[in-house]
Amino acid sequence: MSWWPFSKKKEDSRTFVQEFLEQSKVKTPGIRSIQQLSFVVLDTETTGLNPAKDHILSFGAVKIEEGKIRINSSLELYPESDREIGKSAEIHGITQRPETISQEEFSRTLLPYLGNSILVGQHIHFDKSMLEKITGIPSFPNPMIDTANFALRLEKGPQANWNHVNSKDYSLDQLCERYGIQTEDRHTASGDAFLTAQLFLKLLKIAQSKGIQTYGELIKS
Amino acid sequence: MANVIVKRVQEFLKRFPPFSFLKPSDLELVASQVEVQFLAKEEILFKKNEAARPHFYILKEGQIGLYDQNEIKDYCDEGDVFGVLALLGKRPYIYEAKVEVDSLVYSIPVSVFEEILEKNSKVALYFAAGFASGQVVVRQDLSTGQKARGVLKKDNQDHSLLIFSDPSQIQFSERVIHIDLNATVQEAAQKMASESVSSIVVCGENQIPLGIITDKDLRSKVVAQALPLNTKVDHVMSSPVITKKKDAGFSDLYLSMIKNRLHHLILTEDGSPNSPICGILSDHDVLLSMGNSPAVLIHALLNTEMVSEMKSIRDRAETMLKYYLENEVSMDFVASVLTEINDVIIQQAVKIAQNKLSEEFPQMKSIRFVFLCLGSEGREEQLLRTDLDNAILYEDVPKELEKIAADYFLQLGTEVVEILLACGFSPCPGEIMASNPKWNQPLSRWKKYFSDWILTPTPEALLRASIFYDFRPIAGFNGLSEELSLHVYENIQKKKGFLSYLGQNAFLSPPPLGFFKDFIVEKSQEHRDQFDIKARAMMPLTDLARLLILSYGVVGINNTFKRFEKLCELEPQNAQLFTQAGKAYEILMRMRALEGLENQNNGRYIRPENMGKLQRQLLKSTFAPISELQEIVRIRFQLDLLRS
Repeated sequence: MSWWPFSKKKEDSRTFVQEFLEQSKVKTPGIRSIQQLSFVVLDTETTGLNPAKDHILSFGAVKIEEGKIRINSSLELYPESDREIGKSAEIHGITQRPETISQEEFSRTLLPYLGNSILVGQHIHFDKSMLEKITGIPSFPNPMIDTANFALRLEKGPQANWNHVNSKDYSLDQLCERYGIQTEDRHTASGDAFLTAQLFLKLLKIAQSKGIQTYGELIKS
Repeated sequence: MANVIVKRVQEFLKRFPPFSFLKPSDLELVASQVEVQFLAKEEILFKKNEAARPHFYILKEGQIGLYDQNEIKDYCDEGDVFGVLALLGKRPYIYEAKVEVDSLVYSIPVSVFEEILEKNSKVALYFAAGFASGQVVVRQDLSTGQKARGVLKKDNQDHSLLIFSDPSQIQFSERVIHIDLNATVQEAAQKMASESVSSIVVCGENQIPLGIITDKDLRSKVVAQALPLNTKVDHVMSSPVITKKKDAGFSDLYLSMIKNRLHHLILTEDGSPNSPICGILSDHDVLLSMGNSPAVLIHALLNTEMVSEMKSIRDRAETMLKYYLENEVSMDFVASVLTEINDVIIQQAVKIAQNKLSEEFPQMKSIRFVFLCLGSEGREEQLLRTDLDNAILYEDVPKELEKIAADYFLQLGTEVVEILLACGFSPCPGEIMASNPKWNQPLSRWKKYFSDWILTPTPEALLRASIFYDFRPIAGFNGLSEELSLHVYENIQKKKGFLSYLGQNAFLSPPPLGFFKDFIVEKSQEHRDQFDIKARAMMPLTDLARLLILSYGVVGINNTFKRFEKLCELEPQNAQLFTQAGKAYEILMRMRALEGLENQNNGRYIRPENMGKLQRQLLKSTFAPISELQEIVRIRFQLDLLRS
């Protein structure tokens, strides 16, 4: 951030996007140990399940650094949406939203926060599409880990195939129950992100016990 | 507004003290700084003696065991706060924390919490009341409560480290015993003997130090080599000498002793070997200045016969005691150390008194006697210098010596008691002391005392039981005390009914809690509205333990919590209750001692309204085993029959 008050005006959305994309060019060496990696565990609540049509209502995330969830890194954002609250919002119980910020402000806060961290989430690819849409970045460069997929591979081996399992067994609720994570008060973006982060810590521990120790091995799994 | 994640953490923390005492804004601040980690079974969170991390922990889920050298000390469950030393003392961990089942652990940065400690008196009290502790904090059961105490004050540092920055505490002898270069080894040895020192400095002109002769030199260079006594000192002295300036810093002086393996360091005016000597620092002086270790204090006591010095050493033991109590050192250890120190003081006092009287009573030298401690010191439980209870027991003497023996031992007892009073102990209000002729008697008389008490247990005799049955030999001839013990146990065996009377004792003080589950406080003017922790809580436990252990005829265990330990072995079916009772007793001892240290009194009266809620709860929790034990005793010794 600049102390120069006028530079902000000149900065267009491109600048922080450029900075973000620039950061991601630094590749993490495959031999870096898991303990040294930075993760952003995130979740979005949306107006619906179609990235093309729907919008983000809320975004929640928390960072994992040195194997620890850092609560002080938690981030909760409510971007403005021009769309009516849809079906999904009823599930999530979002009827009144706290103060919202513009989509531009959202992107401006989000991208430096993500940096070149590894993005982690339950069905992260859906969240990724939503974030790409709201930020206008065609493709997020960050490495990503889908906790559902990660759990499947840890449980059934690297060759596991979604066609052979009941995908319901890999919902966040089911996973949390299976891995002993208390899930009172679910269905806020932040709340789910926090649950996902705890789930991910446990999965990482299991991965490490199976010999997955480095970034390279983690991404491959 | 806090986001959902912070709120979740906040909601969890809020359920457990000390977080439950925080204002929402403070709690939010703490919650926002938490770090969450997941640990798998068998992982080690921290190791014993590892430097404290900048955060302490609360267990979110799972279980963590605290170990001391593979010995389990405690288990932490959900909501338990541990690793608190980091918060309070920044001292290394005293236990190893091992994950028993997969655990989610929240780390709370010390820096955030320190500010809160300063401004939130409830939280401070919570820690001060001893719930935060060595390692574990807060669970309502006794095993943790016992450990759940700790240090709050920041100024409480390790004194043995402090010393390095405080040279004012080192004392060295300015009067240096020295001898001329032309003297013989015999002259040197004579001078050393008459001054009772272990080294002598050999000086040239103007008191310039040339060498040093120590006990060891005389042993290995003179006697072992069979050198003639007129050998000149320069032949055997260690030379040249290493010297330092008198006002050099302590660490400088100490390091040069360590580096050069010196027991004695010579100090000169300008620090060079070419200037006159002005002092000598021995490793004994260094040891003393390192202060508060039991070994040092005992060593110092053994080497002094000056009462004023004995008192100041006992004062220092109190500082050490406070440090131990606040640092969750086990009560067993604390009590043993303090008992040892008290014992040494008494032994020295007896020695001083004997020497003083030896000329006047030469014929008494061969009469055997034993100095007995009664009551709490007899039970090895006297932490503070509370009332003295002691007695002298001497062997039966021929008729013609009776009068003079009575006179001698009374003088001896009086002398010892006076020395102990000068050392800061308080006199026994009931005059149960060796200075009272009644409790300064030959063996036959003592045997009769006990026989009478057992045969006709008058209320008065029963009241005395709590003092007299816990006698322990401190100085003199132990055999006499053993003979008396045997006599007592034989008599009790003969009259089993006595135990029932003794059992009544344990019921003399009413239960500590009243109708409304509140403390029974004193009504008397002086201690109005105070809780008598000794009479209401500790004495019943002492009495119960004594009664049960006497009923098994176990000799030689005087300590209340050791008695409960022994009872666990003897009655495995009640082991849990006895364990709880022993722990309750340790908690009470600690509470009373801390209270006493705080208020500079005997700690006996506690004001319940001044205690934190949690401390009150902990105190109350110690009562549970009392009433359960009373119930067992009531049935076992058929006390109801006696009452009706």
